[in-house]
Amino acid sequence: MGAAAVMAAALAFSAQAQDAARGAALAEARNCAQCHGPRGVSDTPIIPSLAGQQAEFTTLQLILFREGIRRVPAMVEPMRGMSDQQIEDLAAWFASLPSERRADRGPANPALMARGAEISAGRNCNACHLPTYAGRANIPRINHQREDFLEHTLAEYRDGARVGTDTNMNGLMNGLTDGDIRALAHFLAHQE
Amino acid sequence: MKQHIRSLLAAGIMLSPALAFAQAPAAPPAWQQGRPAEMSGSTLAPHAPRLTVTAPDAIPVAALRVPEGFRVELWASGMPGIRAMALGPNGTVFGGTRVIGRVYAIRDVNGQRQTSTFMSGLEQPSGLAVRDGALYIAAMHRVLRVDNVEANLTNPQPVDLTAAFGQATEAHHGWKHIAFGPDGRLYIPRGVPCNICDTDGDRFALIESWLPNGTDRRIEARGVRNSVGFDFHPRTGQLWFSNHARDWAGNDNPSDTLHVAARRGEHHGYPWCAGGFQDPAVNGRLCAEFPPPALILGPHVAPVGTHFYTGTAFPERYRGAMFIPLAGSWNRERLSGFEVITVREGEGGRLIREPFLTGFRDEANNRFIGRPSGALTMPDGSLLISDQQNGAIYRISYGR
Repeated sequence: MGAAAVMAAALAFSAQAQDAARGAALAEARNCAQCHGPRGVSDTPIIPSLAGQQAEFTTLQLILFREGIRRVPAMVEPMRGMSDQQIEDLAAWFASLPSERRADRGPANPALMARGAEISAGRNCNACHLPTYAGRANIPRINHQREDFLEHTLAEYRDGARVGTDTNMNGLMNGLTDGDIRALAHFLAHQE
Repeated sequence: MKQHIRSLLAAGIMLSPALAFAQAPAAPPAWQQGRPAEMSGSTLAPHAPRLTVTAPDAIPVAALRVPEGFRVELWASGMPGIRAMALGPNGTVFGGTRVIGRVYAIRDVNGQRQTSTFMSGLEQPSGLAVRDGALYIAAMHRVLRVDNVEANLTNPQPVDLTAAFGQATEAHHGWKHIAFGPDGRLYIPRGVPCNICDTDGDRFALIESWLPNGTDRRIEARGVRNSVGFDFHPRTGQLWFSNHARDWAGNDNPSDTLHVAARRGEHHGYPWCAGGFQDPAVNGRLCAEFPPPALILGPHVAPVGTHFYTGTAFPERYRGAMFIPLAGSWNRERLSGFEVITVREGEGGRLIREPFLTGFRDEANNRFIGRPSGALTMPDGSLLISDQQNGAIYRISYGR
């Protein structure tokens, strides 16, 4: 069997391994909706929406929670004893939910939008998160997200309080003021 | 070491945080520093790790190739991120990781191979070494020691030696490969906290050694950008180390390298020179001022876990040869590396490089199906190779 055939087999296996329906049942059992919303759209301050999130990103983050690498107290109990399979199922479920512009999104503030656009361009946010900011694979979707969550988490990256699977975001937020981060979060939350 | 590098680290990093962004862009992330304007549209980025278990039937062992007479088989699996390996005196193989924060233990119990997560929740515990029955773990700047480790596999109580070693805490290139030398000292590298930047040459770009208790620090090699693989020549005892060269200087420059530390404390060229490549972005010193590398390994190939084979089961030409896992490139449009090579001495000490374990790179689709990331000689003379992408260890043996 050639390398390509083996890879095809591996990809087929992983596609089969993730099951959104099982993920939906697990989300119900672990009460994800209480904080993240019934369809993955969060109505809770500084809690992220997960609808339409990239499955690979969600998988990696859930593993970091489970392993105690990314430490968020509210995630300790829900992650207890969760298997890789369950994590992949959950990620598939949230990825399958539609991601849409938030219904409660306020009007765009022109000054914040301009400043946010400037920061995003300067740091090439769209190189990894793509020009739509919908993300890809291990790079998260950051459009349609709660503005307060974006502001909170970007500041955490800057302050070294948030770990990812590498240190890219910590480096990228280096040197931004609170005002800069507020503008960037506003700009991202107002992407279509 | 006085260095003046213009146009690399933005001046903004020197200003107060409040001023930094108002006047100049702050430093880009470490892996992007030195990225030229003509590559600003590049979407190249470090590969995502796979942190979930890869099922045995999805591990691409059937695609792997070894020279005639050798055999490769799946030896252990289910260990996401496994890289460096170290062998305990009673036969336990320990495996370190980066992102997932685990140290694994693998042992044979009543003829059954058992894998377990020995420790977890550590920050990038990629450096492992065994001495006098104790396992030393380097997790970024932290150094831990688990005494009588094989009797404490289920409830390890590590001794924290971090303060004694006093390593720099900067995260980037702070992950370690470690090893004990024939002199009984613990060798620990300290990479540069950036892609290409000005650094304090007494704190970064080093391979250092200490007594096992963290005293008597000594600089073994300077000007080493990021070494995550080294070993000691079985006959001469000399330190041989591989080194990762900078990114964003092109698909084919500079090359990663293999070096010999012939004189203690010698400078090997960072930031001015990498494997004969005179960095055009860095003024100051010339390649001619530094000892040339023992071998050019190729651009962006990423040598990890450089290892001398110390067994006798392999044919004569492989005894005492180096095995260098090349975890593979990210900062190159066509993938390079993703294989294990051997380097052996030919006539007159000339080094001969050959592929040894191949098949991880899917040439046709410019994709990879595994990342070899560690090597270990076993008491029976077989060679173990870890694969961090598949969470697996392969065993390579010779003959029947």
